Amino acid sequence: MDFAIETINLTKKYGSKAGCTDVCLRVPRGQIFGFLGPNGAGKSTLVKMLVGLLYPTSGQAKLLGYPLNNIKIKKKLGFLPENFRYHDWLTCHQLLEFHSKLYGINGPERNKRISAVLETVGLAGKEHQKIRTFSKGMQQRAGLACALLPDPELIFLDEPTSALDPLGRLEVRRILLQLKARGTTVFLNSHLLSEVEMVCDTVAFIKDGRIIRQDSLEHIQSSEIKMELTIGKINDTVKQALSNIALSSYIEGDIVTAFVNSEDDIPRLAEAVINNGAQLYEMTRKRSSLEETFIELTGGVDN
Amino acid sequence: MLTILKFTFKEHFSKKVLLFSLILAAIFLGLYGLGVHFAAKDLARNPNPMIADVLFPQLLSLGLYFGGFIVSFLAIFSTVGAVSSEIENGIIQTIIAKPVRRSEIITGKFLGNGLFLALYAFLFFLTVYFTIRLQTGLELNGLWKAAALFALQPVTLLAVTLFGSTIISTIANGVVVFTIYMVGVIGGMVEQIAWLINNVTLQKAGIIASLIMPADALYRKIVNSLLHTTGNPVTALQQMGPFGSMVEPSIWMVIYSIFYVLLFVGLAVYSFNKRDI
Ligand SMILES: Nc1ncnc2c1ncn2[C@@H]1O[C@H](COP(=O)(O)OP(=O)(O)OP(=O)(O)O)[C@@H](O)[C@H]1O
Ligand SMILES: [Mg+2]
Repeated sequence: MDFAIETINLTKKYGSKAGCTDVCLRVPRGQIFGFLGPNGAGKSTLVKMLVGLLYPTSGQAKLLGYPLNNIKIKKKLGFLPENFRYHDWLTCHQLLEFHSKLYGINGPERNKRISAVLETVGLAGKEHQKIRTFSKGMQQRAGLACALLPDPELIFLDEPTSALDPLGRLEVRRILLQLKARGTTVFLNSHLLSEVEMVCDTVAFIKDGRIIRQDSLEHIQSSEIKMELTIGKINDTVKQALSNIALSSYIEGDIVTAFVNSEDDIPRLAEAVINNGAQLYEMTRKRSSLEETFIELTGGVDN
Repeated sequence: MLTILKFTFKEHFSKKVLLFSLILAAIFLGLYGLGVHFAAKDLARNPNPMIADVLFPQLLSLGLYFGGFIVSFLAIFSTVGAVSSEIENGIIQTIIAKPVRRSEIITGKFLGNGLFLALYAFLFFLTVYFTIRLQTGLELNGLWKAAALFALQPVTLLAVTLFGSTIISTIANGVVVFTIYMVGVIGGMVEQIAWLINNVTLQKAGIIASLIMPADALYRKIVNSLLHTTGNPVTALQQMGPFGSMVEPSIWMVIYSIFYVLLFVGLAVYSFNKRDI
């Protein structure tokens, strides 16, 4: 299989302090990959190693099949740092010009790319304003525009929506899905679990520098299914039958919330209600949120 | 690399440092021109070739000495954070992630800044030179050689400053480089005194100082070569005082300076290459 990112025991030590320890990740091409973990877990450390800011203490990594810091591969990488800062005495257009030159984008192609990314991030019409006069969110959009310039095959976004308003976040999600549709692999560091939940294919959890779980989002969400049933004429037999099937359940008035292990248990819940003389008005599947897994795995509340 | 070179060069024009140093340079050169003008006029009224022979060269060295100061200050303060400030504010992160080698970032910054500073110094030199030449009619040798050496002065400082900014913070770098520069300046004066009183130990101390920071030695070579007219009986008098040059530093000092620059640029590349950002 062809991986966009592959790391083997990648380790970074800051002196004696661990940044990342033995990180083994495989990110298939074309996916949106969510990288989650509490503050100080080592998310940014990993990204900085992959884009060439930090040198690994040990271990190996490949991007798009090549070792780190390959100039040819870097032409296909986009990167939005966590603490984004740009030459703020430039206008947005000048900044993008400078960055496209660094990417080696020349000739008429350059202006075409610049207009395209300005359009994408919603800064069209503001490109002749100085970056210094931009609000924080607009600066983050400009940073995102820089990362999108080369039409990257792989893009690293370290908390790309930290300064954005809700509309901006929605737009970023749209951009991520567009990128995915074009085959770009997206590596997303984020605290916003709901955001990750909406776009990511695979997620990995990191805590104290170690990966504690990497799995497809579906898998994580389906490990425990939350069902909500609206029941009329509920009786004790029904309650008993439901609690036999469910891992756990609770009742509030007419509404029963039950957690089950597998999909096969869902029709059994319905049978338990109907066969014991109660009426089933509504039955909905509530996805178990990523948040629960996050808290369970990392043992603490983030942010 | 060319992109970074051009960007660095242009960067100077968008920063206030340039504007201020241009204004200050204009004030300095204006005052200087005025001084030279009245001195020349006065001597024209009461001609005294002996005084003219001593005073005009002294005026020249004064102008070049303080001119060198101004150019050196610009070199230090406009590049003190060339790398460190971009690390501190994070701008460098997006640059390193681009398809450019770290060595290209450093050499681009060196050449961009170097070109700018050399050009600035060159124009400064020409102004002082022609102020003296046209107002006093003093005979001077080797304009282009002297101008080239004058332009090399800030480049030696730039090389050390650039190296410093790859290893320490902006403020620490400013302190260190300024101290190094002062070592060179004091060393040059000590050496002047040493030749005057013929003290070998002091001469050696002066030479060591110019090895640590050769900018001042370059200055001494410039004034000496400009005024060097064989068989002039007052040469010794012309070159007296803290700004003179009793003994012309050899060509080896120039070669040393060039190696000095290359060494520090090399060190800057090396340390930046290894550095975690
Ligand atoms: N330059 C550094 N020197 C020393 N320790 C560092 C340095 N940078 C990060 N660390 C440490 O490495 C660990 C991981 O930091 P990192 O920035 O990767 O966390 P993060 O997961 O990105 O956190 P956040 O969610 O707050 O962005 C932290 O314990 C941090 O204190
Ligand atoms: Mg981080």
